[in-house]
Amino acid sequence: MEEAAVVFYAGPFAITSIVITTWGIMLFLGMFCWLATRQLSLDPGPLQAMLEGIILLIEESIEAVSPGYAQQMMPFIGTLWIYIVIANLVGIIPELHSPTGNLSVTAGLALLVFLSVHWFGIRNEGAGYLKHYLSPSPILLPFHLISEVTRTIALAVRLFGNIMSLELVALLVLLVAGLLVPVPVLMLHIIEALVQAYIFGMLALIYVAGAMQSQQNVQGAS
Amino acid sequence: MTFDWTTFILEIINFLALVWILKHFLYQPILDIIARRRAGIEKTLTDAQQIKAEADKLKQQHEKFLAEWEQEKERAQARLMAELAAMRENKLAELNDKINEEAERRKVLDERAKREFERRMEEQGIAQGIAFTTKLFFRLASPELEAALYALLLEDLHGLSKENKRVITEATVVPELQIKIQSAFPLDENKQNELARYLSDVAGRMLPIEFQVNSDLIAGFQIAIGSWILHANLRDELKFFSGSLQHATAGS
Repeated sequence: MEEAAVVFYAGPFAITSIVITTWGIMLFLGMFCWLATRQLSLDPGPLQAMLEGIILLIEESIEAVSPGYAQQMMPFIGTLWIYIVIANLVGIIPELHSPTGNLSVTAGLALLVFLSVHWFGIRNEGAGYLKHYLSPSPILLPFHLISEVTRTIALAVRLFGNIMSLELVALLVLLVAGLLVPVPVLMLHIIEALVQAYIFGMLALIYVAGAMQSQQNVQGAS
Repeated sequence: MTFDWTTFILEIINFLALVWILKHFLYQPILDIIARRRAGIEKTLTDAQQIKAEADKLKQQHEKFLAEWEQEKERAQARLMAELAAMRENKLAELNDKINEEAERRKVLDERAKREFERRMEEQGIAQGIAFTTKLFFRLASPELEAALYALLLEDLHGLSKENKRVITEATVVPELQIKIQSAFPLDENKQNELARYLSDVAGRMLPIEFQVNSDLIAGFQIAIGSWILHANLRDELKFFSGSLQHATAGS
C-alpha cells in the first residue's frame, strides 16, 4: 500500500489526498443533504422516501440496542455508518483511495468512538459513570483500562486492515490477471464495505450503549 | 502503513464537522418531517376515533330512536286496531239496526200490500159475487118471486115502527106530494089498490100514486114518499149487501 500523497501544505501541516477525499465526501454529503431536504413534504417523493427509510433504519437499529436514546445517539452513530460506507465505496472509483484504508483515519474514528463512549456515559450517568471501572472489584480496574484501549485499537485496525487489503487484492489481481478480472473482487469490495461499516457502527453503538447502561448494571450487580 | 498525525487530527475535525452537517441538513429535517407526518397521522387517527365515537353515539341514538319509534308504532297500531274494532262494532250495530228497521219496514209494507191485495181480492170477490148474484137474480126474477117480495113488502109495511110512520106522515104534509112506486114487473090493479089504501091510511089522506115498471130492480119494489124511500127489491138489497160487505172489508 502506497503512502498517501501530500497534495499541499497548510503551514506546517501536510494536506494529503486522504484529507482531500474526506473533504470531497463531506462536500458531496453536505450538498446532497441540503438539496434533498430543501423541500420536504408530507407526501414524500422517491428520494425523500429513501432518505426517510435510511434514517428510520438507523433510528430503529439504535432503538433496538439502546431504547430511548435513539435521538441522542443518532447524529454520531448515523454519521459513522454513512461516512464509513461512502468512504469505503470511494475506493471503487479509479484514481481514488478509500480514506478508511488509512490507519490515521480509522484511528481518528476509533478515538472519537472512545471519547464518545465516555462523553455519553458521563452525560447520562454523571460522574458515577466511572464507577463501573471498579465493578465488580477494584482489582479489575487495569483490565477494564486495557479492554478500553485494546477494543479501540481493534476498531481502528479492523477497519483499516479490511479496506486496505481489499484495495491491495484488487490491485494485485488487476496487475496479474488483466483489466476485467478484478470485477468480482470489486463486487466483493462493495459487500465488504457495507459489512465493515455496519460492524464499525454497531460496535460503536454497543460500546456507547454499554457505557450509558453501565451504572444500571453496577446497581443491579450490587 | 504509516501514521500521519495531521491526517489523524484533520480526520477527527472533519468527522465532527460532518456530524454537524448531517445533523442540520439530514437528521433534523427528516426527523421533523417524520414527526409532522406522525402528528398528522395521530391527529387523523384521533379525529377518526372521535368521528367513530360520534358515529357510534349517533348509531346508538338512532337505534334507540328506532326502538322507541317501533314501540310507538306498535302502540299506535294497537290503538288503531282497537279504534277500528270499536268503529266496526258500532257500524255493525248501526247496520243491524238499519237492517232490522228495513226488515220491519219491509214487513209493514208487505203486510200493507198483502192487506191491500186481500182487500182488492175481497172487493173483486164481492164484485164478482154481486155480479154473479145479480145475474142469478136476473135469471131467477119472475112474477112469482115478485109476488113473494110483494108479500114481504106488505109485511114490512105492516111492521113499520112508530118512528117510520111518523117520518112518513111528516113527509106527506108537503102539498102536491106524489107517491112513486116502482116495480120490476107490472102490478095488477088489486095490488095497486091495496098499496094505495095502505099508504093513504099511513099518511092519513088520499095521495096521488104513480106506478112505474123498472126492470133494473130485478124483482121487488121501491116506494118513494118525498124524501122517504122504501127499498124492497133485489137490486137495492144487493147494493146494501155489497156496501155492507165492502164496509166490513175496509174496516178489517
